[in-house]
Amino acid sequence: MASIDSLRFHSLCNLQSSIGRSKLQIPSSLVVFRRRHKNLNWVQVQTNQRFVCKSIGDESSTPDEETQNDDNEEDDAVSTQSNTATDSETSISRFRSMITTIANDSENSISRLGSMVATLPPVVFLMNKCSGNSVWIGISIVATVLLASIRAYAIRKSRDNRPAGSVSDLVRRGQLRSGDRRGISKAMNYEDPFNNPFVKVGKGSSTVEMCGKVYKLAPVTLTEKEQSIHQKRRSRAYQWKRPTVFLKEGDSIPPDVDPDTVRWIPANHPFATTVSDIDQDLAQNNVYQKQGVPFRIRAEHEAMQKKLEALQNEEKLNNLGIDSQNARDFQRPYKFSSKLEEDENVQKNSQENHTGDSSSEETQKS
Amino acid sequence: MASPRLFSTCHQPPFLPPSPQRFVKSPAKRRPIRSALQFNRKPQLAGETPRIVVITSGKGGVGKTTTTANVGLSLARYGFSVVAIDADIGLRNLDLLLGLENRVNYTVVEVLNGDCRLDQALVRDKRWSNFELLCISKPRSKLPIGFGGKALEWLVEALKSRPEGSPDFIIIDCPAGIDAGFITAITPANEAVLVTTPDITALRDADRVIGLLECDGIRDIKMVVNRVRTDMIRGEDMMSVLDVQEMLGLSLLGVIPEDSEVIRSTNRGFPLVLNKPPTLAGLAFEQAAWRLVEQDSMKAVVVEEEPKKRGFFSFFGG
Repeated sequence: MASIDSLRFHSLCNLQSSIGRSKLQIPSSLVVFRRRHKNLNWVQVQTNQRFVCKSIGDESSTPDEETQNDDNEEDDAVSTQSNTATDSETSISRFRSMITTIANDSENSISRLGSMVATLPPVVFLMNKCSGNSVWIGISIVATVLLASIRAYAIRKSRDNRPAGSVSDLVRRGQLRSGDRRGISKAMNYEDPFNNPFVKVGKGSSTVEMCGKVYKLAPVTLTEKEQSIHQKRRSRAYQWKRPTVFLKEGDSIPPDVDPDTVRWIPANHPFATTVSDIDQDLAQNNVYQKQGVPFRIRAEHEAMQKKLEALQNEEKLNNLGIDSQNARDFQRPYKFSSKLEEDENVQKNSQENHTGDSSSEETQKS
Repeated sequence: MASPRLFSTCHQPPFLPPSPQRFVKSPAKRRPIRSALQFNRKPQLAGETPRIVVITSGKGGVGKTTTTANVGLSLARYGFSVVAIDADIGLRNLDLLLGLENRVNYTVVEVLNGDCRLDQALVRDKRWSNFELLCISKPRSKLPIGFGGKALEWLVEALKSRPEGSPDFIIIDCPAGIDAGFITAITPANEAVLVTTPDITALRDADRVIGLLECDGIRDIKMVVNRVRTDMIRGEDMMSVLDVQEMLGLSLLGVIPEDSEVIRSTNRGFPLVLNKPPTLAGLAFEQAAWRLVEQDSMKAVVVEEEPKKRGFFSFFGG
């Protein structure tokens, strides 16, 4: 029996150690198996029952208290060694009751431990329950993060490698639509510039989102009174008359012109011209002209026409032919010798031949 | 507010009464407008037509020509007939922004000299048939003294009485400064749009220009604040739009944020408002044009950018 009891107690001690060895700090010296010679005096096993109870149920005990308890228990153990056999039965019964209480306490401790575990966060509890799926969840999260980073890197890379100044660049920026070039583009319908997908006014009109950026709005505080104050200030500060006369530097002011209305133009200014080729009335008529040939072009055209006509008249005069018979009338009469008469005869004959040829030519032409 | 309805892309919207000044002769047929963006609603035109608007600033480089090009094209997209006049005599730029530099053969100088008629000097945009450009002069040309303001007045009168009908808007791009060019440009105008940037030099010049405009009798002056950077406003390195308004005392027509697309559009000759998808500055120009038509002003302004609240799935590239 002693061996059985020892075995039981040994198992109980192991249980105690498994529950909370570090906290319990049961020194092995407290557990003493003393065998008396033949008296079968059971060793007064003095376990640190109070300590065990404290380790399981009472968490408020301090190590100092526990050592004090240990010391007290040692004194009790020494004192009970001197008991007689008559006390052995009472001790055995007492021991048995102690063992039952220890067993009960251990069961309570196990149940308490189970309740403590049950109060842990549900995630851990779920993981304990579904320990097989946690690996797949972790893998999917890692894969998603990896995909997002790869996508961001690819976008950045494509942005850097895109050629600048190309037609595709224009299309990407929206300055040239590929559909417009092919005639298949669709128009974007907006309500108005204040109400469309690119402009969204936030709740309470305190913010506005334009082209993906959110801006804070503040009301305009300018009043009509403040506006009139500014107008009065400016009217006092700036007094100016519209210049009606523009003169080049160095010109004299006409006598009937207000000097405040004269504007002096520097010589190199585009308004300064050396000669005013055109008068105001003509310029105004040119501006108001709605049909027909413009004035200067018409004038040039007319001038060209006149010149052409003059040239044509001059050519007509030049193309007039000289008649030989008429030319003879213009000749001076000769007053010389017969030699001259012979010459005249020769000339007559030649003229007759010429006229005869010319008349024949004329008849042929007609 | 007009009920939301689709309006046709033809020059004459169906719900506007025909102009009584049209001749008996059938007007020249115009090609329908092909637009990338169509609005279901049209702004209500306020004021008497033609509305002659001069876009000025005083200081150079603040965005007058960009504003003229984009607002003018926005108005054309809304269905209004627009004539844009580049009144910068020595330095002509509006044709470059519109991509029409190769089509400018005649200018107002040639019209005055009688080398061409006014309709021959008008360059019609092929993308928007109701938008026309008129340049005052070519570079290195000179205008006779004293003709500047009168010439523009004659031009406006001639445009009012032309056979195609009076345009709805005549927008004049004013040169920088307060010189003779400025005086010429503001002569026929009855309303003005002042373009400025939120820096102290532009504001001082703008204040002077506003004073001159008011002395000349132009009272309807609205302001466009250009090149606004909300990050610098938040860091207090730049004046806010409300500060600018407090300094100048003008009602706001539009606030245009700083956008690098402006430079690209300038170099390509493709105005910002025609981009698809529209850019931030393009949307702002469209809104400014809408307010110009309705003679409205901004009731709330953009102060600073807020970080956008992103959802859980934005991490995955959403």
